[in-house]
Amino acid sequence: MAETTAPPAPSRAVARPVSEALLNEKWDRCLSNLIIKSSLGLGFGVVFSVLLFKRRAWPAFVGVGFGAGRAYEECNYSLKQAARDIKKQQA
Amino acid sequence: MLRTSLHSVRALGSRPAAAAAGRQWQLSAARRAVVSGQRYYADGKKPTDEAKPAVLPAEHTLTAPSTPPPPPPEVAKVASSTIPPENAPLTPPAPGPAVVPETTTKIPPPPPPPAPPKKKSFFRRLRNYILTLTFLGALGFGGGVWYSRINDNFHDFFTEYVPYGEQAVLYLEEMDFKKRFPNVASRMTGRRTDSGDKVKIPAQSGASWRVADGSEPASRQSSAIQKVNAAKEAPKPKAEPATVVEAKEQTANLPKVQAEETNLRSSPPTPALASAPAPVAEKPSETEPSPTPAPTPAPTPASTPAKTPFKAPEVDEPSRWPPASPIDPLAVPDAADPVVQDLVRMLNDIIAVVNHDGANEKYGATIGKAKNEVSKVGQKIRDLKTAVEREAADQVKKQVDEFDKSAHELVARLEAAMTSQEQQWRLEFEAEMERLRKSYDSKLKLVQERERQLAEEKLNNQLLQQAVELQRQFARDIKQHVEEEREGRLGRLTELSAAVADLERLTAGWNDVVSATLRTQQLHVAVEAVRASLEDARHPRPFVKELAALKEIAANDPVVDAAIASIHPSAYQRGVSTPAELVDRFRRVAAEVRKASLLPDDAGVASHASSYLLSKVMFKKQGLAAGDDVESILTRTQTLLEEGDLDNAAREMNALTGWSKTLSRDWLAEVRKVLEVRQALEVIQTEARLQSLKLDA
Repeated sequence: MAETTAPPAPSRAVARPVSEALLNEKWDRCLSNLIIKSSLGLGFGVVFSVLLFKRRAWPAFVGVGFGAGRAYEECNYSLKQAARDIKKQQA
Repeated sequence: MLRTSLHSVRALGSRPAAAAAGRQWQLSAARRAVVSGQRYYADGKKPTDEAKPAVLPAEHTLTAPSTPPPPPPEVAKVASSTIPPENAPLTPPAPGPAVVPETTTKIPPPPPPPAPPKKKSFFRRLRNYILTLTFLGALGFGGGVWYSRINDNFHDFFTEYVPYGEQAVLYLEEMDFKKRFPNVASRMTGRRTDSGDKVKIPAQSGASWRVADGSEPASRQSSAIQKVNAAKEAPKPKAEPATVVEAKEQTANLPKVQAEETNLRSSPPTPALASAPAPVAEKPSETEPSPTPAPTPAPTPASTPAKTPFKAPEVDEPSRWPPASPIDPLAVPDAADPVVQDLVRMLNDIIAVVNHDGANEKYGATIGKAKNEVSKVGQKIRDLKTAVEREAADQVKKQVDEFDKSAHELVARLEAAMTSQEQQWRLEFEAEMERLRKSYDSKLKLVQERERQLAEEKLNNQLLQQAVELQRQFARDIKQHVEEEREGRLGRLTELSAAVADLERLTAGWNDVVSATLRTQQLHVAVEAVRASLEDARHPRPFVKELAALKEIAANDPVVDAAIASIHPSAYQRGVSTPAELVDRFRRVAAEVRKASLLPDDAGVASHASSYLLSKVMFKKQGLAAGDDVESILTRTQTLLEEGDLDNAAREMNALTGWSKTLSRDWLAEVRKVLEVRQALEVIQTEARLQSLKLDA
């Protein structure tokens, strides 16, 4: 069954995700975004802490926070946008 | 220069040479004068400038009327320059007083001149102005007239725009023409006057019985003596009209000559002429009662006093006879006859001529004789006429009698002839009548015979026709009988053929029925095949071939076509999922929907996360749960699906809203597709069943 459904599935995925996977996909994206942004913020924080703050720990945490916050905001925005689209479609 | 020469040449061509020459001379003179003036002007420019007094006084020029007359100021200047008595040399004291009064006397004059000149000057100026204007105008007009004779263009302009210019030019041209051709002008005028006089007709001209006064003709062609005579006899009117006298000049020369000849011949008895007037005078008195011309009595008294002043000839003069009394014109009482009239007229003419010539005494006797003769002739002619008339009347009477007699005879003869002819005609008429009657009788008989023959023939013909008709009818009857026989047999044959045709139709109908049943069967089979292909498959598989077969078998059945058209193309191209698949997928969808079941309208990350977490700890329902929340709908769908009620399951899922509906959208579409296919198949199947039922019925 998995083999038989496989052939049409990829094409669908490329063109349009299956409706039940919409939310999961969004979550995936949010998580990856969180990891990337927080790691970026961590990196910046580490650099700053090394260069400016005598290897203090808090700049690194601040960086991570910044990155995570940024990711969170983006995720929030995307979800709300999706909800608005759904509303518009139903209306 | 060329222009002037040309002008002069032209003038030469059109004008008398003398005038032209004169003009040329004038021209040359003028030119010379101009040249000399120029030279003078060139030489004496300075002198004129210097000599101010040479300038014309203002009185005479219009150009500077305002300039005050120069003499007074000069005089004043002179006075002022020369006069001052203080500066005057006082050396001669004695005569000083003598000098001073002089100067004083000199001084007063200056003031008065300015005042009177001013008043005077205005009128004078006006006068001068008008004078110069008229002079210049006249000069210009004259010049215009003169130049218009030279230049044609200017002539046109001048005559058209300058008042009285045309008249002036015309007058000048007329004068010139007269000067050039004096003869022509005089001749023209003379002829004109002549012709004017010629047309006139004197009031007493034309033919009339009155004797014209012979003054005019006498003066024209008679000698002095005759003239004198004529003057004497002027009051006496003549029997001849003026025209006759005039005509005599040309035509009556011959009679005159004859008269002269007679005169010559009868020269000896001239003394007798004196006595001749007496009988002549007597004659008119005798003939007075008859219609004689009225003037005849008048002349005699007039002539007698005219004669009295006759003087006897002097010694030195040639001898002459006293003028005889004029011969009276002849008048014949009965001049009805044209011949006599002519004679009388002729004689009267002769008498008139004689009277006119003053040769009365010469021809008096002869003319008296002639008159007597003429009157006698007239008498004779009258007698002759009366005799002839009487004779003619007798003859006419005789002739009338003869005619009467002959007419009577003629009438009698004619009557006899008419009676005899009438009788003859009557006889002839009767004979003719008889003959005509006979001929008509014979004709009538002939016609009757013919009529009878015609009638017989007609009857015969009718008989023959009837016979022919009868024969024809017989033949027709026989034919009809035969036909009827034959028709009976043929009718049976047609019935048979109709029965056969019915049978054929029946069989054909059965064939149709059979084929229809076949078709329905095939339809059933096809539908079954499609259903089988749908149900048999464990995974979606395209069933295009089956559907195409079905459509072909249905053969344009509208219901089948509509049913097939209702199926989404993707359904038969990719196939539809089986119920097991649908249930499986529903499980996944339900899990996802449950995760998002607690989401608010405007959900962010936090609400999503909380919904996800809380959905894990929610209780699950079982069976046909009541309620509109997502959990109960899902459980109901689940149970319906397990029961196999796809339709109701789809309905339940369609009731979801928001994220839940979005998540279950694809599953719903799938279910719908399956349902559509199923419905279409059912419709086709029912159609097939209906058709088979139709056939059965």
